Amino acid sequence: MRRIRGIGAVAFAGVAAIALAGCQQGSANSDGGGDGDAVTLQFQSLSDQPTTQAAIEEIVDAWNAENDDVQVKIVQAGWDGTYDKLITQFTGGTAPDIIHFEASSIVSFAADGYLADLTDLIDPELKSDISEGIWESVTHDDQIVAYPSTLQSYMAFANADLLDAAGVEIPTGETMTWEELQEIAKATTTGDQFGLGWGLGSPTATMMSLSLGNDGGFFEGEGEDVTIEVGDDELAAAERIHEMAYTDKSIEPTSLTQSGSDVLPSFYGGKVAMTVQGSFQATNIANDAPEGFNWVALPPLEGTAGAFQAANPQTYSVNVDSEYVEESAEFLNFFMGGENLAKIAYADALIPSSEAARAEVEELAGDDAAWQQVLASGEGLVGPPFLKVSKYTEWKDTIATPAFQQYLANQIDRDQLATQLTDGWADVAG
Amino acid sequence: MTTKRPLHATILMYLALAGYLIFLGFPLLWLLSASFKSTQELNSLAVNLIPQQWDFSNYASALERQNLLTAAGNSIFVAVVTMIISVVLSMPMAYALARLKGKLRAAGTVWILVSQVFPTILIIIPLFLVLRSLQLNDTLFGLILVYVTFTLPFTLWMLQGYVAAIPPELEEAAEMDGAGRFTILRTVVLPLLAPGLVATAMFTFVSAWNEFFLALVLIQSPELYTLPIALRSFLGAEGQTQLGPLAAGAILATIPSLIIFGILQKKLTGGMLAGAVKG
Repeated sequence: MRRIRGIGAVAFAGVAAIALAGCQQGSANSDGGGDGDAVTLQFQSLSDQPTTQAAIEEIVDAWNAENDDVQVKIVQAGWDGTYDKLITQFTGGTAPDIIHFEASSIVSFAADGYLADLTDLIDPELKSDISEGIWESVTHDDQIVAYPSTLQSYMAFANADLLDAAGVEIPTGETMTWEELQEIAKATTTGDQFGLGWGLGSPTATMMSLSLGNDGGFFEGEGEDVTIEVGDDELAAAERIHEMAYTDKSIEPTSLTQSGSDVLPSFYGGKVAMTVQGSFQATNIANDAPEGFNWVALPPLEGTAGAFQAANPQTYSVNVDSEYVEESAEFLNFFMGGENLAKIAYADALIPSSEAARAEVEELAGDDAAWQQVLASGEGLVGPPFLKVSKYTEWKDTIATPAFQQYLANQIDRDQLATQLTDGWADVAG
Repeated sequence: MTTKRPLHATILMYLALAGYLIFLGFPLLWLLSASFKSTQELNSLAVNLIPQQWDFSNYASALERQNLLTAAGNSIFVAVVTMIISVVLSMPMAYALARLKGKLRAAGTVWILVSQVFPTILIIIPLFLVLRSLQLNDTLFGLILVYVTFTLPFTLWMLQGYVAAIPPELEEAAEMDGAGRFTILRTVVLPLLAPGLVATAMFTFVSAWNEFFLALVLIQSPELYTLPIALRSFLGAEGQTQLGPLAAGAILATIPSLIIFGILQKKLTGGMLAGAVKG
């Protein structure tokens, strides 16, 4: 009987919890709306760095203080699973008013008509301050469906002491060729040390971006009407990495299966002399590297066509079902102002989309050499063809990623990779 | 008649047990160690179980930044209520499933099995729409309703096995002694079913406590986030992980479930012993 009383006690505790949580839920929901005629906009932010979150909060607080009638409420979310969550919310009609996501991931939302047309709502000054190429990355069916905010590039970071010890001169030019990268990697590879650690566990985004430097666009067309070409230009970057890993043996092989962040301990520990990372890692390296760690950011990588990479900006869109599309756009015009955008970009070590913000970041960065390279790498960012392809995300996840992974693991050769990418697209595109 | 176990067998047994405990406990120890390491140490290649310098800031960061206490409260609430409702509902149903004969029972059994086949992703949108029409999306009650729906088939299946293991003769004997159906259930079946109820309760608690995807999709207000949703905020884009705060958050998240397990585990052992000496 004591056992039953014990279970009964747990049951009672549960019922009490229900009553308490009932009260709690009431209060949680009650602050969702505004007072009187005030409008409350739900702003789903995915920023994950504490400094960036603080910057966004500061900007939103400034807006709220000046706009009693339009209040913005931040809904802090994370990247993991957000696509599925948004799809469900869009279908169910409960998506937030303002949505933060990356450009390549909003293509299918735009194709399904979930995002509002912002073309005529964007502040003309802001519009002219961002390059056409970047606007192009958020244009769908001639409608601008998002504000492009910050961009990342892929950059090589080097342990200056290891380069020095290997007798390698640190490149200082405006750009650095792949050949130079390969030579430095070979020169700095010794018995227990590799020249390069490159986190390519999820390789597609990197491959698609860097192939642009060799004129490798992969896709031609827009929406559903798209063809794919996987030739020498498209595969040049992948082939070079493969060669460095299996012929030169200058790339740390484990790193090819890891995320970028996973490689950083090897970089800090002197096991790899260089690492290619998203530009945002400049902040993390500056904060987390051991004391006295002598590192430099190398010039942007240049292929046969130039130092081009894909502009796949972070974006802010407005839910087409929002009752307050205009108010949301007004807020975003404020949010994207030069000073505000610069705060966010600087906190995240990303490249701001607008010239005004870039000038602000230059000022904030002062003479920081790493920041000079981050900003320089932004010069070569161009709108990639894959941003216009409706089924890109599906192809990327189901075909391209496993195919590139197999190639980088030396399980398939270059021709098999090309076949898998091409035939896989035919399957996905139907 | 019993024979004394040889000394070497006892030593081997304890060694095996110690090895098993280390195997199970090491990840938890490593997590605990990571929660006290500085970012620099976590980013170094050195492998130390004992942190070189004890850093408590990860706990402060975890508690301040992600509102973990609120999330823990939400998780406890959701898990406990799901556990209670699932156990209370599945108890009579499991009894009926185990004891009754006929086509309805067979159909019920098949339906339980079929209900386990559907992947969550397949039904998430209809589920979301139903909850929305009931005005239960973005509420903890909606989440509990969904969790009960998802766990009930399995708990029912699990519990009916325990009921089936109770000899019907015991009930028949009580009936011959003049006990009514309700008295038989209360005084004969329920005490013998206690270990099964506790095991089922543990299963439902763990299922609801760990669940991520449904909570992610159905809960929108940060005030209502459950622990798995709050903890994933330490994982950023491009594989970035804030290891220290994540480890600290994970340790904090483990404590309530350890307490609940501590309480329930005693009941489970007690119930098993009671069953062992019965009859």
